[in-house]
Amino acid sequence: MTLVMVVDDDQDLAEMLGIVLTGAGIDVDLVSRGDEVMEVFRSNPPDLVLLDVMLPGLDGVEVCKLIRAESMVPIVMLSAKGDTQDIVAGLEAGADDYMVKPFKHPSELIARIRTRLRRTNADVKGSLTIGDLAIDVSAHEVRRGAKLIALTRLEFDLLVALAKEPGRVFTRDSLLSEVWGYRHSTDTRLVNVHVQRLRSKVEHDPENPTIVITVRGVGYKAGVVGAS
Amino acid sequence: MWPQRSPLAQSLATKVILSTVLLSLGVVWLTGSALYSQLSDGIKAVNLESSLADARSVFYNARYQFLLVEGASPPQIQVQVTDVITSSTSLGTTEGAREIILLKIFTKGDTASNGQQPNYSFASNGLLATAIPENLRSKISKDFDLSHQYAPLTYRTGKTIDALYVGQRVSIPGSGRYEMYLVFTLANQGATLDLVQNSLLLTGIVLLLLIALITWLVVRQVVKPVRDAARVASLFTQGDFTQRLRVESNDEIATLGNAFNEMATSIQAQISRLENLSQVQQRFVSDVSHELRTPLTTLRIASDVIYGQRESFDPVIARSAELLLAQIDRFEKLLQELLEVSRFDAEVAVLEPTDFEFVALVRRCVADLGVVLDSPESQIAVVAPKTPVHIRADFRRVERIMRNLISNALDHSDGKPIEIECVETRTEVAVSVRDHGEGMEESSLTRVFDRFWRADPSRARTRGGTGLGLSIALEDARLHNGELDAWGAPSEGANFVLTLPRIAGNDISGRPLPVNPHKRSEVQVETI
Repeated sequence: MTLVMVVDDDQDLAEMLGIVLTGAGIDVDLVSRGDEVMEVFRSNPPDLVLLDVMLPGLDGVEVCKLIRAESMVPIVMLSAKGDTQDIVAGLEAGADDYMVKPFKHPSELIARIRTRLRRTNADVKGSLTIGDLAIDVSAHEVRRGAKLIALTRLEFDLLVALAKEPGRVFTRDSLLSEVWGYRHSTDTRLVNVHVQRLRSKVEHDPENPTIVITVRGVGYKAGVVGAS
Repeated sequence: MWPQRSPLAQSLATKVILSTVLLSLGVVWLTGSALYSQLSDGIKAVNLESSLADARSVFYNARYQFLLVEGASPPQIQVQVTDVITSSTSLGTTEGAREIILLKIFTKGDTASNGQQPNYSFASNGLLATAIPENLRSKISKDFDLSHQYAPLTYRTGKTIDALYVGQRVSIPGSGRYEMYLVFTLANQGATLDLVQNSLLLTGIVLLLLIALITWLVVRQVVKPVRDAARVASLFTQGDFTQRLRVESNDEIATLGNAFNEMATSIQAQISRLENLSQVQQRFVSDVSHELRTPLTTLRIASDVIYGQRESFDPVIARSAELLLAQIDRFEKLLQELLEVSRFDAEVAVLEPTDFEFVALVRRCVADLGVVLDSPESQIAVVAPKTPVHIRADFRRVERIMRNLISNALDHSDGKPIEIECVETRTEVAVSVRDHGEGMEESSLTRVFDRFWRADPSRARTRGGTGLGLSIALEDARLHNGELDAWGAPSEGANFVLTLPRIAGNDISGRPLPVNPHKRSEVQVETI
């Protein structure tokens, strides 16, 4: 069974989230303090972390960095602030997705969680190439030559989405729907931040990308081998 | 800035210097004239004295010489006359020296009895007897004494100079009585007077310049602090409340400076107090909104769970669950908009411009609001250019403006069709949202963007608008440097026109779409 760690200092909300998630068939681990997260995380590794930004003990953004330092587990931030800098700070700390309180529907939260847990590229089998990188989709591995590059699941999904259709230019909206599972969302910050994070891991020179190429005014596309 | 004025009215210094110089000019002129007339009178008097003394001695000498030749022969007398003339004049030298004229006086019977008497009449430099003023001649003919008169002297060459004529009667033995005149030219005196006049003029001019300079220095002392004060005051007006005047003395200027500084300090204190108050208030609103979000999330989820189970409830409880969820929706929207308003008030709202296609955004907003676009039963018709309209703006904000305008139109359309029209020009894009509902009074137009203002308070809120939507839309438009205009007439409906610069932050040069739909035909829309 899937295990989701819910980190929120508001007992009532945590309990409510627990009820909803349990109802959806997901096991829940409740943590109310930021500084208690890592202990629980190590003793009982979850499949996904639902992390509030404002936490007693340790700030959610810091917690996010700590988790990222040792795990590629999907992280969804919960924020009471809708301000751009808070969202970007969370995403840059390594969160895959975020939700601003109050969310429209609990079903939306569950949908997001499921998207993050699901293999978004389940239809893709075998291996792909993008630029000078080799992607083994089944093994969930990205290599440059013999060197293994560690990516979060979301970054991996983003890379695969681009690699499986090499000629296509993806708009940010289409990436949001294909990778994040959003409908009608226009929050391009999510895409921008993750493309930057992905580039910092896979590009030779993130300033002059050859793997994930920006198509100005439209979106992104996969780099071609030898094009650099 | 200040209205354009003449330079004279603009500068206190110029004004003061100019009036001082004008007044000084009068004073210097008067003093100079008095001085000049005194000096010239003195010089003339001294000249006259010496000329008269000269003349006296010449005349005395002439009489004496003539006495010596009493009874001598005419040639001897002629020699004596020539001698007298030579000794009393600088004959043959330059003009401007003294001249002599000797004229025989013909008495009655002269021509008859003494016709053979020799005539020793003479005039140096060929002067004419007619040059001698008539007054002087008649005076001399009546009086034995020395007489004098000023008159111009004309040489044969035509040159005329001022001269002093001094005359007396003399007798030449064997010839009778003569009028003897000495003519002193006043060329030297004139030159002296010219020199005096020129010196006085020069002194006067230098004096005036010095007065102007001194006035300028003095005025600058007074005007400079005034100018400083004006500069500081204008910086203060521009919002730099730390500006103060420098006070370096104890005079009236210092009093002004101190008074100004006290005022500045007091204003600064007031403003920072108000700023603090408003910051505290905005912060409070923002904090409240944030604090409300977590419990609202719990409420939202809980009511959603209950709502999901409503079919298993008693109808009354089921309906309550529906109302609960709807009201939480409304509450949530209100909270979100309050937070946005507090951001605008705190001036922390930032524009995040991206490039996107405007018409697609409008169409999507229409579609999202649950109305099938352009189908026969549709309520909303969209008219837009066939080609894509690319703009650079904050997508979220433009989308929010469009949603607000469209949902506002739907709220007030009374089920009648709504028309949306997009146009573009080189520099801006505009979209109008027109409904044909109950409309509004003209007096309402100015208030339509006010927070929580409703055209008709008794009217049911069909879609549960928060009352903040249009206010936020206006702020969003202005953040782009765009504008949002409203028009309405009772029972004719309302029209809202959003005008945005093609590139957010640029100025808009006009309104491609007039807000009054009746004025449509008059306006030429520049399309590309």
